[in-house]
Amino acid sequence: PELEPECRSLLAAFAEGSAALTGCLGRRARPVRLCQGCHGHYRRLLAQYGSIARAVGNSSESHNCAKSILTSDRLQIVVTLSEFFNETWEAANCANCLKNNSEGLSNSTEEFLDLFNKSLTCFEHNLQGQAIDLSPNNYTEVCKNCNETYTKLNDLYNHLQRMNRQGGEAEHSAHLCIDVEDAMNITRKLWSRTFNCSLPCSDTVPVIAVSSFILFLPIVFYLSSFLHSKQKKRILILPKRIQSNASLVNIQEKYS
Amino acid sequence: QLTPSSLLRIGQLSNVDLNEDIHELETELPRQRPNEIPHNEKLLSLKYESLDYDNSENQLFLEEERRINHAAFRTVEIKRWVICAMIGILTGLVACFIDIVVENLAGLKYRVVKDNIDKFTAKGGLSFSLLLWATLNASVVMVGSVIVAFIEPVAAGSGIPQIKCYLNGVKIPHVVRLKTLVIKVCGVILSVVGGLAVGKEGPMIHSGSVIAAGISQGRSTSLKRDFKIFEYFRRDTEKRDFVSAGAAAGVSAAFGAPVGGVLFSLEEGASFWNQFLTWRIFFASMISTFTLNSVLSVYHGSVWDLSSPGLINFGRFDNEKMGYTIQEIPIFIFMGVVGGILGALFNALNYWLTMFRIRYIHRPCLQVVEAMLVAAVTATVGFVMIYCSRDCQPIQGSSVAYPLQLFCADGEYNSMATAFFNTPEKSVVNLFHDPPGSYNPMTLGMFTLMYFFLACWTYGLTVSAGVFIPSLLIGAAWGRLFGISLSYLTKGSIWADPGKYALMGAAAQLGGIVRMTLSLTVIMMEATGNVTYGFPIMLVLMTAKIVGDYFVEGLYDMHIQLQSVPFLHWEAPVTSHSLTAREVMSAPVTCLRRIERVGTVVDILSDTSSNHNGFPVVESNPDTTQVAGLRGLILRSQLIVLLKHKVFVERANLNLVQRRLKLKDFRDAYPRFPPIQSIHVSQDERECMIDLSEFMNPSPYTVPQEASLPRVFKLFRALGLRHLVVVDNRNEVVGMVTRKDLARYRLGKEGLEELSLAQT
Repeated sequence: PELEPECRSLLAAFAEGSAALTGCLGRRARPVRLCQGCHGHYRRLLAQYGSIARAVGNSSESHNCAKSILTSDRLQIVVTLSEFFNETWEAANCANCLKNNSEGLSNSTEEFLDLFNKSLTCFEHNLQGQAIDLSPNNYTEVCKNCNETYTKLNDLYNHLQRMNRQGGEAEHSAHLCIDVEDAMNITRKLWSRTFNCSLPCSDTVPVIAVSSFILFLPIVFYLSSFLHSKQKKRILILPKRIQSNASLVNIQEKYS
Repeated sequence: QLTPSSLLRIGQLSNVDLNEDIHELETELPRQRPNEIPHNEKLLSLKYESLDYDNSENQLFLEEERRINHAAFRTVEIKRWVICAMIGILTGLVACFIDIVVENLAGLKYRVVKDNIDKFTAKGGLSFSLLLWATLNASVVMVGSVIVAFIEPVAAGSGIPQIKCYLNGVKIPHVVRLKTLVIKVCGVILSVVGGLAVGKEGPMIHSGSVIAAGISQGRSTSLKRDFKIFEYFRRDTEKRDFVSAGAAAGVSAAFGAPVGGVLFSLEEGASFWNQFLTWRIFFASMISTFTLNSVLSVYHGSVWDLSSPGLINFGRFDNEKMGYTIQEIPIFIFMGVVGGILGALFNALNYWLTMFRIRYIHRPCLQVVEAMLVAAVTATVGFVMIYCSRDCQPIQGSSVAYPLQLFCADGEYNSMATAFFNTPEKSVVNLFHDPPGSYNPMTLGMFTLMYFFLACWTYGLTVSAGVFIPSLLIGAAWGRLFGISLSYLTKGSIWADPGKYALMGAAAQLGGIVRMTLSLTVIMMEATGNVTYGFPIMLVLMTAKIVGDYFVEGLYDMHIQLQSVPFLHWEAPVTSHSLTAREVMSAPVTCLRRIERVGTVVDILSDTSSNHNGFPVVESNPDTTQVAGLRGLILRSQLIVLLKHKVFVERANLNLVQRRLKLKDFRDAYPRFPPIQSIHVSQDERECMIDLSEFMNPSPYTVPQEASLPRVFKLFRALGLRHLVVVDNRNEVVGMVTRKDLARYRLGKEGLEELSLAQT
């Protein structure tokens, strides 16, 4: 009926670990920083679950915590919780921006976050003392001064994406880790929607000229072939048939 | 006394209306003045002959049958199955080849164009990208068009009209040659890579048929190699049956629909059917789709994945996510009506365009230039629409292979570009399965409109290309628009999933254009992988066909008529019982006597004014006043073989002939018999006699002269005849009925009408 003391302590440790991880995930939900901030909690929780799942001591009935904790009832809360955390971690693809042993952030991620902070600083610096929703012509300074930083950030992001796509098709998901993606998304929204710094639509006139020329060519072609080509005529062959009065009578009856 | 001639004038529309001459035809002999008229669709061409489906059971054939015993016929049956398996495998492999090459080459082209556009978006000078795209398209299509126009013109188009005619029994010159296959495959690859609004599924049917015709003969006449196998099958009867299997294998490889392929062959070659043939054709289709599936799975890296049974597959249509209810059936029927009307519009526009092309653009260089212009304009239209579109959407996952950013914000991509840079097959699948809200209605509407006119302009060019996928794409696009507007009207009701309406729209549009009912229903049912969708698809297709047929006929039938092919429908026109064989037949007939002078035979064969291919053989009586009864029928091809081997009576008597002629000699000369001009007969030999008794068909089919037209038609069509002799009550030959005589009569708008023959 009651759990063994070792198993009870393992279960309590797991419960505390999951509470800590859930709190961390919730606190760092917006803007998304959960890979950076919660990887420690997650590692500890994994270890705790691992120690429950392994058979403790000899395989005698009394020390088998896995069975008594994990699979003794219909609901299997511990398994459900562990699966939830695993799935969330996989969906966030935090493995992408952490080092191999999950001890900290990888170099490329550090570089990216560094650039990201620089960009935000640059934006704040150029918007000093002004609210965000002022008229657009106050943003030309931002666009001009921060263009270099932003371009570097964008290029680094594209580079990371390309590396990710090349490095394995089926095992990795097509996404980078969620922190990086969200940071980039925020920056892009600021840059394109709020500051409206996108590329202008240029050289309309040459495009119109070239396309009208190309569209005009078939008309010329068809007109010239209509006027100059000899129309294909067919020579009728009159069939060899018996044309008798009897057949005439038949046709007459047919049409009357 | 004007009434009889005016009545006759109603019957002979084309002759009189266009010339505005009044012909008195009743009692005059036909005048030799050549009438020249511009091409129209009420003509029949003399260059199309029938296939020799009916077997000539002469004495040689009976000897061969006596020689082959009962057990050996089982070997023949096993050989038929082996040939069908080989047809399936080779068709699957050819389809794989086309798919892989198109994927790689098209990918290369899109990458080049996309990199160029990306480079010039920031710097300016996008007109240069437009020029690059247009030039790439035009040059690729130029190569594709040159090989078709100059080397093998019969490979133009999708090939389905030509195969329909072949299964109907018409011998279209060069349609099942090896050269045609090579040009067709290369042409299809180049057309699709060249960015034309075309599909690659229709030409698979033609390719499958050529493969079947080639393998079943066991030799290659073009490559001059004889493998000395399958000699029993070297005649039109067997070849045509294998071509049915090849066409079915082609359909099956194109759509992943083996049963649909069998039904396609059934729908086209309906009269000459039997159970064993059905079984073998099904076998060939299944093997074809299985081969394609396994090879493509291996190519994509996951062996035994078996997820691509055809060149296009529509994805899974689950009942939970995309079910339909009975209240939606009237909506589907309405979509069928719309599809029929749009299809009739497509066909009508294409008719005028094709008529113009036949009359004015008949030189090969002009055809190539036209194809290049269409390719360039397609690129231009695409570019202009991408340039002007301000619709930007974020990319979900990797659904687009070549996303184009152009002037969109970072992280978003131009959605018009995804429509144009995808291959049409992938666009169709996206339209079926993308979640609601993925498409901007304005973008989709503009795309549909432009693509409709481009596809209509492109079909009929001198390139190898099909029309299935463009019609599916047009239909899926307006179907999805319909679904989006429906869900907007019902304020986002959960059952208006636009993907389902896209499927129905695609079916309606395809049915409205090609008007195939049975086979198309089964093909779409198999392609969607869901039998419950068969009922609404069938209703939609039937509605589209009924509505479309009211205006204009199907695209393939229209092209067959424009090519002046003597196509025989399933039955004679309904009001034709008053016409008898006497009015239909051609007379007088050139007959040969049973023992005939070689000189006469050579002169008759060399006569250029009348290109007869079958001659009744009458009793050779020295007394010419007595009646000569019909004894048999002999073909031109048989006479040529006899003349080549010099099988003369005098030579036999003098034992000059080394060995007796066997059936094998006739089969070796098949199918390309030498023309009469290449047979040299000396003056002395002209006086020899030739005995036709052994070689003629001693039991030709005959009809009395009072037989009605439907009766003659049924006999001719059901047995696949080439010549039908008309005799009187004393068994004398009075006339001959051939395909052209029967195909002349058609049910037009005002009743029975008669087509004229023309030299094309």
